[in-house]
Amino acid sequence: MTTISGDFGMPGREAIGRRTSLALLASGILAGGAGSAKAAASGTMTVAVHVSLPPAWLDPSEMPALITTYMLVYALHDALVKPMREGNPAPSLAESYTMSPDGLSYEFVLRKGLTFHNGDPVTSDDVKFTFERYRGVSQKLLRDAVASVETPDERRTVFRLKEPWPDFMTFYALSTGANWIVPRKYIEKVGDAGYKKAPIGAGPYKFVSFDPGVELVLEAHETYWRRPPTVKRMVMKVIPDEATRLVALKRGEVDYAYSIRGELAEEAKKTAGLKLEVAPDGATYWMYFPEQWDPASPWSKLKVRQAASMALDYVSINNALNMGASRITSNFIPKHLKYHLPTPPPVFDPAGAARLLAEAGHPGGFDAGVYWCDSSYANLAEAAVNNLAAVGIKAQLRPFERAAFDKGFLDKRYKKGIIQGSSAAFGNASTRLAVWAIKDGAYAYGSYPEIDALYPRQLHEIDDGKRMAILHEMQQIIHDRKMFVPLWQLGFLSVAGPRVKESTFGSIEGFVYLGPYEDIRLAG
Amino acid sequence: MSATSAIRPTPSVAARLGDVPIFPVAVLAFITLVAIFADFLAPHDPQFGNLAERFRPPFWIAGGSIKHALGTDHLGRDVLSRLIFGARVSLVVGFTAVIFAGVVGTVLGILSGYLGGWVDQVVMRIVDTWLALPALTFAIFLAAIVGPSEMNIVIILGAVYWTRYARIVRGEVLSLKEREFVRLAIVAGASKFTIMRRHILPNVVNSAIVLASLMLGVVIVAEASLSFLGVGVPPPKPAWGVMLSDGKQGLMVGYWWLTVMPGVAIALLVLSANLLGDWLRVKLDPQLRQL
Amino acid sequence: MKQYILRRLGYSLLSLVLLSLTIFLFIRLTGDPTTLLTEPGASAADIEAVRHRLGLDLPLWKQYAVFVFSLLRGDLGDSFYYQTPVFELYFSRLPNSLTLAIAAMGFSLVLGIPSGILASVRVGRFWDNAGKIFALLGLSVPSFLVGLLMILFFSVYLQWLPSSGTGGISHLLMPAFALGWYFAAAHMRMTRSSMLEVLGSEYVKLARLKGLPESMVIAKHAFKNALIPVLTLAGINLIQMINVAVVVETVFAWPGIGRLLYEGVSFRDFPVVQGIVIMGGAMIVATNLLVDIVYATIDPRIRMEK
Repeated sequence: MTTISGDFGMPGREAIGRRTSLALLASGILAGGAGSAKAAASGTMTVAVHVSLPPAWLDPSEMPALITTYMLVYALHDALVKPMREGNPAPSLAESYTMSPDGLSYEFVLRKGLTFHNGDPVTSDDVKFTFERYRGVSQKLLRDAVASVETPDERRTVFRLKEPWPDFMTFYALSTGANWIVPRKYIEKVGDAGYKKAPIGAGPYKFVSFDPGVELVLEAHETYWRRPPTVKRMVMKVIPDEATRLVALKRGEVDYAYSIRGELAEEAKKTAGLKLEVAPDGATYWMYFPEQWDPASPWSKLKVRQAASMALDYVSINNALNMGASRITSNFIPKHLKYHLPTPPPVFDPAGAARLLAEAGHPGGFDAGVYWCDSSYANLAEAAVNNLAAVGIKAQLRPFERAAFDKGFLDKRYKKGIIQGSSAAFGNASTRLAVWAIKDGAYAYGSYPEIDALYPRQLHEIDDGKRMAILHEMQQIIHDRKMFVPLWQLGFLSVAGPRVKESTFGSIEGFVYLGPYEDIRLAG
Repeated sequence: MSATSAIRPTPSVAARLGDVPIFPVAVLAFITLVAIFADFLAPHDPQFGNLAERFRPPFWIAGGSIKHALGTDHLGRDVLSRLIFGARVSLVVGFTAVIFAGVVGTVLGILSGYLGGWVDQVVMRIVDTWLALPALTFAIFLAAIVGPSEMNIVIILGAVYWTRYARIVRGEVLSLKEREFVRLAIVAGASKFTIMRRHILPNVVNSAIVLASLMLGVVIVAEASLSFLGVGVPPPKPAWGVMLSDGKQGLMVGYWWLTVMPGVAIALLVLSANLLGDWLRVKLDPQLRQL
Repeated sequence: MKQYILRRLGYSLLSLVLLSLTIFLFIRLTGDPTTLLTEPGASAADIEAVRHRLGLDLPLWKQYAVFVFSLLRGDLGDSFYYQTPVFELYFSRLPNSLTLAIAAMGFSLVLGIPSGILASVRVGRFWDNAGKIFALLGLSVPSFLVGLLMILFFSVYLQWLPSSGTGGISHLLMPAFALGWYFAAAHMRMTRSSMLEVLGSEYVKLARLKGLPESMVIAKHAFKNALIPVLTLAGINLIQMINVAVVVETVFAWPGIGRLLYEGVSFRDFPVVQGIVIMGGAMIVATNLLVDIVYATIDPRIRMEK
């Protein structure tokens, strides 16, 4: 068996990734040791949350395909392997994990002396139980791939696959709730409904009380393996209005406020004592041209799509709408996903755009029809429409409420004009391409045969290097064809109040919330 | 309600409110003129902005200039021009929605009240159902179904508010039906349609007009609330409600002009419509209730 | 009389059936909750799994049957988003909504009734106009703006009141005012027209003829009688305040039913929306029924109307 530890072959990151992760791991252990020698956890931190918190998010076995659920899961629960500051993925409850050379089995070994909040030990039996109980996102995919789960002893679990599946770790460990371990004994005693009312996990915080959609109270799990949390109580308060969140923060009613954008972020930056923070790995946003496969449409011409990408004043939009905190990119697949291809940043060149339009037979521009978008990001769309109009590409904005927008997108109702797409979905470059860029993809309005032909070749490729090369080639073609014109990768903004010394916000790759919770520190 | 006999207001009350109120009429006339001549009055394109010139304050504050007399918004668009064109959007949306609701509601109210029987049953059961649906929720549903556009906002607001007319008009018709002149017309052999058009309609129009003037305010504020909830007139169209909800984030930062300008405009318009409506009510239809 | 009540009861039930059907169909036309319970770009298999778990893969008539039969058993179903019984959610939020609605109703009556009386009895142009305009302003300024301005002034600038959430009286003041102000104008108008009607009636004239002082006539005879329709309207408005205070509850993070409803609508949480609309509808229908019966008892002519 070959042992892979710390880093699971993150492309383009390997050399640096491994070194930093080791260094961080070492410092983490040292800090952990020092922390446990010090006084017990104290103080309360109140966090103003922008989304309503449902009880379903307390149970990782029911994890929906929503990135927000991790906000609670990271506090209450722990996984065998999960994205951490010291690596992505990093061993957590498992001290090591190994893949057999034939790619058919994966073995995880639990750390010694792990306990759930109620004092029960964490065993391989719980790992097996968790997998069997799991009914959240990608459930079928995992079930179909795994032939059996074996528990040779208390600490070891072996997953046997039916056939080699290079994405096993992506799905099992990084994009589902299947490896966030729940206690078999306790759940069998209280039942599923009882578990949701008083969940018990192996994470750094214990459940105290919950008023669904209103307030969640947690308390430090003093014997957490990585290090005991330094903050005794963690209160998550739902405040839906952005301005109200900032006021609550300014008045000291809360210590941390999620999602403070635009003018309010400006105000937070100006206010003494408040600290504006960025989580850089948010969703990517892009323009998509459903008419690019229609030879009668201007969008079928590469030069027109190139002109659109040159019309956007990326830096000014980013500065005006998001304090310059977003990442400007020309790849619609976000940087933190595995197999991402780094492409050169886009350039703003309105004169060049006008020239390309003229060369393509549209001097002075053309009427591009409707610009479809989700109303929660209408401000980004407004800025894009403004820029396009400046080079003569005239489009009318049609913002829809999110539910309606997604439905229309999926039902392929936006056949003409420009669609503003976005995704924060789990997975890797391959799973993103499957949905957006391949023939019959749920959101694909067309496809290019070269890309379609490459796609199946990488699906079962065990050689990671070869697989990466194929996926990079696909992304290169997409980039060259301007199949998508990315606007930005959203830098998610939140604000820390004066009592917060270290918030940990955005410190885990691909994760835009607070965490690891045990590293959060209050001042004084 | 319909069974109560007509009560005339005491003469002193009628005489007191007899004169046309100058303030609301002047405000409405001014806003209407601005809306009509928006193309001549607006100094800039209301939908196009320069990101380099965002958040300029009004001219009388340091940093402001006469080029953007009332400042600029988060995308560098001229607030004055947006207010001027916004008058057009808000008035068009407000008036057409009120008229649409009024026509549908009045027609159904007359049919329901005069024909009675199953027509009445059907209309009134629909009205009851409609009234039990929370208006804003209903509006969000409709926005999700038909998609947002200026036209659709009109249809949505009309579809939400027609029931108010239907109920009141029906009540009026029930009492009109018992009046001498209608009975005489029936005896004279006039068709149902003729009676409804010639005798009933002219007598309920007053109530409908009064209600319309009061509903104008409701509709305009509802449009603003829809924008706050993200389903209003789609940007970059400069409706006042959109401006208000776009600008609200800047309030705390001190970009007060983004909220105060459209806020004052909406308040003046709605207040005037209500004052005029109250006056009309006393003049035309003193016993109208349930508004 | 008995027949009249039975007929009204029949209509009320019919209205509720229609309401349940309307809300059931309408919300299903507005979009698919599965796209909201997954990130955009989630796989088709995941979307299908969610749809199956929520019972949305059943034919429409079956979904409606499930909804109606559980409703008859007093079960509003489980929320898609919260995955807990809607009934539980509704009743955990109801006390908050009741508190807010009652306080807001207090504000609106305190503002509306005196200004309505002043407007009807002419105490002087200034007070008449001032009261009227203040009440009408509540209708004219969108409540989210009122809310935000109050937060800025009382929470940020003066530092007197907490910005959001529930707690003591201090948490209640701002949202109650923002909500109550909007309804003040309606109560003012009702008070005024009701007062005008009563003041024109025979027995008030009689009281005046008896030589009672005008203030006495207004206070004792007119006001007491004029109050009935005002309180009827207030009853209906109270139900509105409980069920649809969406904007105010959002601004002040007040965990009431309005916010639950709005979240339900934006997440396409069908059971939550259906449940709240049905509960609100039932309250409105019941109130109307009660009013009708009371009026019919007082005035027998109404019974003959249809």
